[in-house]
Amino acid sequence: MSATTKARRDTPPEEATAKAPPPVTERSSVAEKRDPGKAPPAATTPFLLDFFPLEGPDQTRLARFFERLKEGLLCTTRCPRCGALHWPPRVACPACHAEDLEWIDLPSTGRIYAFSAVLAGAPLGMESDVPFAVGLVDLDGVPLRIFGRIDGRPWKELDIGSAVRVEPLPLADGRVFYRFRTVD
Amino acid sequence: MSAVRRVAIVAGATTPFGVRPTTWSEMAQEIGAALFRAEPELRSEDVDSLFVGAAEPERFAFQSHVAPLAAEQMGLTPHRILQRTELACASGQSAIRSAYAAIAAGLSDVAVAVGIEKMNLPSMAEANTSMGCVMDRAWDGPHGATAPPFFAMVAQRHMREYGTTEEQLAAVSVKNHRFANTNPHAQFYSKTFDRAKLARLPVVAPPLRLGDCSSMTDGAAAVVLAAEDRAYRYTDSPAWIRGTGQYSDFHNLAHAGPLTDWKGLTHAAREALGRAGLTIQDIDVAEIHDCFSISEIVEYEAFGWCPRGEGGKFVLDGRSDVGGDVVVNPRGGLLGCGHPLGATGIAQSVEIFQQLSHQVPPSRQAPDPRYGLVHNLSGSANVHSIMIYEGGRAS
Ligand SMILES: [Zn+2]
Repeated sequence: MSATTKARRDTPPEEATAKAPPPVTERSSVAEKRDPGKAPPAATTPFLLDFFPLEGPDQTRLARFFERLKEGLLCTTRCPRCGALHWPPRVACPACHAEDLEWIDLPSTGRIYAFSAVLAGAPLGMESDVPFAVGLVDLDGVPLRIFGRIDGRPWKELDIGSAVRVEPLPLADGRVFYRFRTVD
Repeated sequence: MSAVRRVAIVAGATTPFGVRPTTWSEMAQEIGAALFRAEPELRSEDVDSLFVGAAEPERFAFQSHVAPLAAEQMGLTPHRILQRTELACASGQSAIRSAYAAIAAGLSDVAVAVGIEKMNLPSMAEANTSMGCVMDRAWDGPHGATAPPFFAMVAQRHMREYGTTEEQLAAVSVKNHRFANTNPHAQFYSKTFDRAKLARLPVVAPPLRLGDCSSMTDGAAAVVLAAEDRAYRYTDSPAWIRGTGQYSDFHNLAHAGPLTDWKGLTHAAREALGRAGLTIQDIDVAEIHDCFSISEIVEYEAFGWCPRGEGGKFVLDGRSDVGGDVVVNPRGGLLGCGHPLGATGIAQSVEIFQQLSHQVPPSRQAPDPRYGLVHNLSGSANVHSIMIYEGGRAS
């Protein structure tokens, strides 16, 4: 998944929060002058894709999702032609293939349908999060069950039916994503 | 359909599976050598087409365009169809299905389907990252979605809805590891597991322990497929492909529906069995996708070997063991053999070929089997792929 596409880090990084994941890798630049007789350093890539989406308006037609998330709200698309409610947000309706979709805000609360926890085998950038809980959450009042990290109470204190709320997750490089957090 | 030709597996081989000090390309050479050793009648010039099942060589071996690389490494010069098939955990079965389609349509006469995967890297976190890309990377991936927590949620719901127990999960793992002790190529050939030992292994994703999960594995497997007029050049006991089916209805985890009812599997099985003119009760031996212990339990139910919710009892009662209703995963399964993504589906078909021709050790031989089945799920059980074989001379 590494690629040399246009850098996404054009936007100045916002102040990182304590929860923000670190960059996937930190490597030295190959552009530094070096003695040609010496062994080359490990190659570096100017841009390395990570798990988080590219979210600027020059990279996705769903930029509004991330803008709204920075305001604290989860939103998605709905099809005005057939009424289908989508997750994740889309640019074309899978049910009727309409392309003129509308944005709607989603409820910020829900209940756990199923959950587990990652106690080992985490991907890059998530090793220091271990152990962490993940689950499928039924959002209140809409027919959507979406997957997400569950912060807050430790996994041993969760149960099917536990209440959670959506919480924006600011990333160190200015992007944003969401997680769930337990409601006390 | 009269133009469709019958197709059979006529030879097969696997490399050892495990954490192996060897590269992707070296394993391609190794499986080529093993295949030609297994079938002395096979000549390189017989093989007109090659299908290469490989899930993530770009990530695990930093190599694209692997089909011609595999051909060169194996000593093959395909001159009709050469392609890679990628379907994550079902990449190997996809190679067989594609070869089958090509031969049935008359575009190929003799084809090799090979699966190769190198998964063990110096950095396990990097390997785990690659596994995370199998999911909807941009939406489920950032939360840490990989296979273990997903299948753990399946287990949690199955336990909640049906009272399935850790003892029943362990029964799958004990059975498949016991079978693996008969298979020198299995990753866990020389390791024994009983219920007490499994219960001492660490929890990976609750309620799943290490022994409930298949491993990161390096390995390769290959089969030769031939048209009906060529099959008996290579063997007296071809494994005829009688049916195949596949179904996919979601990818993002939001659309997984009830986690304990794998409708996609039921649809794919109906398609495959319908094409074969069989029912599930006709199947004597099956290699099904036990990527996790809970998977095999849900699969018993979705195939219809037992009612919904009774998969745990089915295995605990020995009904999926030798002497039961159907022998399931006698090769050792993914739990016992390891799971090199691209190789697994092909190694399963090698086992069915050998089961139907009585070439496996007696301790895992299904009694006089006529029909065998191979099933792979891929990703979050959002795709199911099935093949049905018949041994001997098909009528
Ligand atoms: Zn629509």
